Amino acid sequence: MFNETVLKEIKQISGKYPTTRAALLPALYVAQREFGHLGADAYEAVSDVLGVPKAIARGVGTFYAMYKHKPMGRHIVQLCTNVSCMILGAEKLSDFLKNKYGLEPGGITPDGRFSLVIMECIGACGTAPAMLVNDDFYENLTEKYIEEILEKYK
Amino acid sequence: MITININGKEIKLEKSVTVLEAAKAAGIKIPTLCWHEQLGQYGGCRLCLVEIEKIPKLQTACTLMVTEGMVIRTETEQTAEARRGMLEFLLINHPLDCPICDKAGECELQDLVEKYGAISGRFREKKRKIPESFADPLIVRNMERCVMCTRCVRMCEGVQGASAIGVIDRGGHSHIEPFSGGRYDCEYCGNCISVCPVGAIMSRMHKHSYRPWQVTGKTETICPYCGVGCTLVLQVRDNTIKRVIPRIGSPVNNGLLCSRGRFGYEFVGSKERLTTPLIRKNGVLEEATWEEAISLVANKLSDIKAKSGSDAIAGIASPRCTNEDNYVFQKFMRTTIGTNNIDSTARMGFAGAQAFMENIFGQGATANIISGLANSDTVLVVGGDPTTANPIFGLQVRACSRKGGNILTVGQMKGLEYFNPVKADPFLYTEEVLLEGIVTALIGKKGLPGANLTLEAKIKDINTSLDDVEKKCGVPAKELARFVDILAASATPALLIGKEIVQSSGASYKLLLLSAINYLANGRIYLLSERSNEQGLLDMGCAPDLLPGYRPVASAEFRKRYETLWDTKLNEKTGLTIFEMMDAASRGSLKALYVMGENPAFNLPNSSAAATALRNLEFLVVQDIFLTETAKLADVVLPALSWAEKDGTFTNMERRIQRVRKAVNRGGMEDWRIISDISKNMGVKLNYADTEKVFHEIAAVSPLHRNLTYEDIEDGHAIYPYKGEPLRDVMEEILTSKGKAARSTGKLYLRIERPLFHSGTLSTKAPALVKIYSRAVARISAETAASLSLDEGDIVRITTKAGAIELPVSIDKAADSSTVMLTNNFEGQGAYSLMEYTIDPVTKTPVLEGVEAKIVKMTGT
Amino acid sequence: MEKVLLKNMENPNSADINEYKKIGGYKNIPKAFEFQPKEIIEEVKLSGLRGRGGAGFPVAMKWTFASAYPNFPKYLLCNADEGEPGTFKDRPILEKNPHLLIEGMVISGYAIGAEYGYIYLRGEYPHAKDVLNKAIAQAYDNGLLGDNIFNKGVRFHLTVHQGAGAYICGEETALIESLEGDKGQPRIKPPFPVNVGAFSKPTVVNNVETLSNVPYIIEVGSEAYSKIGSQECPGPKLYCVSGHVEKPGVYELPMGTVLRDIIYMHCGGIKGGKRLKAVIPGGATTPILPAEKIDCPMDFVNMPKHGSMLGSGAIIVMDESVCLVKVCYRILKFLEHESCGKCTPCREGTGWLRSILGRIENGEGAEGDIDLLLSVSGNMAGKTFCPLGDGAASVTQNFIKHFRNEFEEHIKRAKCVMRNE
Ligand SMILES: Cc1cc2nc3c(=O)[nH]c(=O)nc-3n(C[C@H](O)[C@H](O)[C@H](O)COP(=O)(O)O)c2cc1C
Ligand code: SF4
Ligand code: FES
Repeated sequence: MFNETVLKEIKQISGKYPTTRAALLPALYVAQREFGHLGADAYEAVSDVLGVPKAIARGVGTFYAMYKHKPMGRHIVQLCTNVSCMILGAEKLSDFLKNKYGLEPGGITPDGRFSLVIMECIGACGTAPAMLVNDDFYENLTEKYIEEILEKYK
Repeated sequence: MITININGKEIKLEKSVTVLEAAKAAGIKIPTLCWHEQLGQYGGCRLCLVEIEKIPKLQTACTLMVTEGMVIRTETEQTAEARRGMLEFLLINHPLDCPICDKAGECELQDLVEKYGAISGRFREKKRKIPESFADPLIVRNMERCVMCTRCVRMCEGVQGASAIGVIDRGGHSHIEPFSGGRYDCEYCGNCISVCPVGAIMSRMHKHSYRPWQVTGKTETICPYCGVGCTLVLQVRDNTIKRVIPRIGSPVNNGLLCSRGRFGYEFVGSKERLTTPLIRKNGVLEEATWEEAISLVANKLSDIKAKSGSDAIAGIASPRCTNEDNYVFQKFMRTTIGTNNIDSTARMGFAGAQAFMENIFGQGATANIISGLANSDTVLVVGGDPTTANPIFGLQVRACSRKGGNILTVGQMKGLEYFNPVKADPFLYTEEVLLEGIVTALIGKKGLPGANLTLEAKIKDINTSLDDVEKKCGVPAKELARFVDILAASATPALLIGKEIVQSSGASYKLLLLSAINYLANGRIYLLSERSNEQGLLDMGCAPDLLPGYRPVASAEFRKRYETLWDTKLNEKTGLTIFEMMDAASRGSLKALYVMGENPAFNLPNSSAAATALRNLEFLVVQDIFLTETAKLADVVLPALSWAEKDGTFTNMERRIQRVRKAVNRGGMEDWRIISDISKNMGVKLNYADTEKVFHEIAAVSPLHRNLTYEDIEDGHAIYPYKGEPLRDVMEEILTSKGKAARSTGKLYLRIERPLFHSGTLSTKAPALVKIYSRAVARISAETAASLSLDEGDIVRITTKAGAIELPVSIDKAADSSTVMLTNNFEGQGAYSLMEYTIDPVTKTPVLEGVEAKIVKMTGT
Repeated sequence: MEKVLLKNMENPNSADINEYKKIGGYKNIPKAFEFQPKEIIEEVKLSGLRGRGGAGFPVAMKWTFASAYPNFPKYLLCNADEGEPGTFKDRPILEKNPHLLIEGMVISGYAIGAEYGYIYLRGEYPHAKDVLNKAIAQAYDNGLLGDNIFNKGVRFHLTVHQGAGAYICGEETALIESLEGDKGQPRIKPPFPVNVGAFSKPTVVNNVETLSNVPYIIEVGSEAYSKIGSQECPGPKLYCVSGHVEKPGVYELPMGTVLRDIIYMHCGGIKGGKRLKAVIPGGATTPILPAEKIDCPMDFVNMPKHGSMLGSGAIIVMDESVCLVKVCYRILKFLEHESCGKCTPCREGTGWLRSILGRIENGEGAEGDIDLLLSVSGNMAGKTFCPLGDGAASVTQNFIKHFRNEFEEHIKRAKCVMRNE
């Protein structure tokens, strides 16, 4: 169950749509923020507020790549490997993350600090290779630059 | 008029339909997988691709609408190649396990591959591996075989409305599972199983026990469980029911079933079935021959009749038996025995409510068509959740909501929670005030129509404001105003009334208020009916005051007509109700009781008192398929045949008379035949060659069934009065008595829960239903649990004035904090044993209200 | 050419409403309100504006259908899902010029009769979400959104709806499903969104760039506007260039600029002076062009004549070092990942193609694999529910068509021929 503040937040979001069902995607984001990832309890909470059957909510949630269904590190490194990034060396960077930080796609570092997610195109092709750490864009990546960036995330 | 051409054949159509439908009308079959009659178009499988002249790409027949002059070719080299391509795609990840797959023989994929051939061997990679899931007791899932037609999901969400399963993940990873990923937390309708074209979702009940082509018999009959009367097809092999399936196109359930109907059949083959007559000797029931048993019953009844008079004998008829059984039984009681002491558990609500409503509205008040409910613009539900009491009927309520209709509920209705109900949830036992408020507001909005002056006279002075309601019932005036507005604005409202209202204090007054609401809103009434032939048994005259076809015993004119027909002299004294029988038995004035297919020692409130009363009888005959609580008390027990072993008819809650057909053979006799044997032994012949002959007599005797034949019934559309005379148009004075709203805060009250998976004794003898719902629980609110420091599963002792039982608790966060809910299904743990009751003076129905319960946690368990 | 869409981009505060107003922003709303909605649609029709989302559908036509369909309320959805790999043209508008989009949406909403607008923003643009929400709040504060805009009784409400990582949600009916809180799976058409769209009401879906053109059309009039760019497809166009060029980035150029000129004149040619090998001109799912075929005017009408498509105008430039089997494999991997799973050929076919391509790239390809690729993609082409699956077939077919040699070499030599050992 969500606390009162979160319930209010979701109610407010759903007020922006003609149906409560339409608030499902935003509500799942809220649930992900509150629970860390979308497990049974998160879906049940969302189902309770919006009146969307939980099996349906889970079906919708698992359709989208940005909802996480297992525990994640504190910071999520989201590296693009699609064509533009790939031809400019994204794969090497992914190897680098693995060798230097032990970060494998979908995995989590033992200290719980990072998780790595391999992304499809993140719309930074002109400044490839690129990645997002949580909500921040980083572009024109090099191994060295990645080291600097990750330093900032504790 | 649209003219099109399919495969060179010119076809004229009234209106534009899909290419698939047009082809079907022309007798041309286009292969489909994702399309389904009950689910409509989806466009996913791409098997229905056809060629359309002037359109370069192939088109899906299931989605494309025909237009004037369209030229369609459904079987060309190009379409065959496309279909082969699709089949190849479907097969690359599909295991080639047809030899061990139970679906083989009725697998749509297998049939298609047979027709179009498959390209094989080109897929060199590893197939997708998903282990078969046996996490559920009834449903086995094999996602490797799934073709992602999503028929099951669309069925579950769009038709059943349970939304228990979903497509998880996307693309090639898509798979279907229940929320938990393992066990289903669902309504177990099994309709997903029905629509799965392959062997991906199947019932575990007959896994590896037979192949579809080995079925030796397919018998179409009617479900033995509730009053909806769904059509079932029983598939039999080796004289055993192997599977129950629905039939698309059947009038009531059109291809759908509920858990009881689909999975509840195994009681037929139960080892606990009675096989021989039993006679009590030296206090114990011992096996006996039919001759012994029948002559003993005949002699005893003759003796008692001679000694104490006909009225010292009574009979209890059965809502689970056929019309024919019940007709013969009441005739036996009225003619051979000579008493009107015949009644049934329909007295627990249905009988009283029906009579009350009909007195106000005249005939047919409660005979509205089930399938028509979905077209109402508003459905008001009071006194019970239709989705559990009458599941297939409940689907009509959900369908109504889906079509944009309004659902109004009084009290909690869990099964309607996802259907946007507008709720009025009053405090416990305050419905009366709420209903008064609705009547007052409706009169205020719409005025009195002036059509039914007797009714208007009773309601015109009611004056309960919405604020009064808010104060007394806790329903906010604003919300109730919205509720009433919706009702007042509806053109085709329907009113559903469940047992809880009829079994409450002041039931007659509440029924009056509901009648008034129905009258003011110009609606239609549906009474929920828990047993398969509750309606039919009343029609057959199994009531102390009514002869077959609802002709009052008290009327000399009617009595005379029946005396001529039956060639007998009828007792003019109105008989005893089932409750009066219990009283009379404990007082000793009733000497003998003949119980056919009923279990009063369990099914009547304060059942332990009922059991004591039964023990006090001089002679108790019980005719049943199991050694029930009541049978255990009997002097003679006669083994009966179950519904699957006999012919006859049931009449459902919309008064549709339907054929029950024998599917398996079993030695022994039908209920009616046992009775006619006894009658013969008592010197009165009740001879019929078969049930059709019995029905023939019913059609001659009951004005409602006049001239009706089995042939008429065959097509499933015999709703009475089919050719017969209307019911009656006599209006009596409307009597009511108000309730007492007995509730004090801080107390717990015992209420009956009517779960989806069980109804009475029968379902607990069906292992599949027991697997899903295996034991009685005491359902309490989170508040109650917290105040008593109870956790889920803790054993508690529940005590009322009538007795005590021990049960585990189940905590339900939505439950009312002033109630404890119990079911009445499990032997030795019946909720009715704890229920003290009074009888409503008008409806003669027991009042199961205000039963205080105490809960104490048992330690050391 | 005067910048229309990327105006004021150098200004670090370009996303602020006051900066936008300083350069003449929001003047076109009152101007538009002087006209009848029908007149605005007519003006847009005369301007020749076509949708910039990829399909190039005439904008005024959609608007006319939706405005004429008698059901209310109507919705205007801005497609900011920008998921086509290689595409990053909408992002600068969303992040730096949000008021241009809002202005465009208010005018478009007025023209259609839509009272509610949603910007369906891809989940991968969290920064844009903040910028847009802030800009929308400012617009409300300034009376540019709300129930009575400019006291003209015009009502338009705008909300950002964040997607959650699904390329298919760029497809307009999938987008609507997703907005309604469902999986982004395409809907059966008809009914078309202009008649029965979001929440079953008439709905127009337009791309960010498309809507951002509208204020300018109002400002200069259709005649002046239609003089920009090519005759069949007038107006400015955002081309986003990535890969092996000296100066990758988003370029606002007249529609119909020749691909070679974009690469060599505007982007400074191939990076490091290497040789050009191939170009994917309109986003990853459009047909690839070999180096010698890049003299094509980049617009909706001319590109098909040259064997490809304008798509989203996402130009991916690849030099001689690139292994095209691998690129093809990567695109198929993308499409497999993004297939919504609704229809058989796409759900099963994308994965199968990907795995065949994968084994060829890994040196495990077998004789006949190229024919198998062609056969499998042939079984998909034209038979899928929506263009995504079709795209997978077309990508495979076009890579093989132009670079069959490279595939054959991979198989023959049982290794990736481009990998340096
Ligand atoms: C698979 C697929 C993905 C698409 N993705 C996008 C997208 O990311 N952004 C976009 O504007 N249009 C996209 N489209 C096109 C939209 O369906 C639609 O044509 C467009 O939003 C209409 O806007 P416009 O007329 O302004 O171009 C996509 C189409 C398909 C079939
Ligand atoms: S082609 Fe089919 S499976 Fe693929 S994205 Fe479109 S609808 Fe979904
Ligand atoms: S039946 Fe038409 S696509 Fe499946």
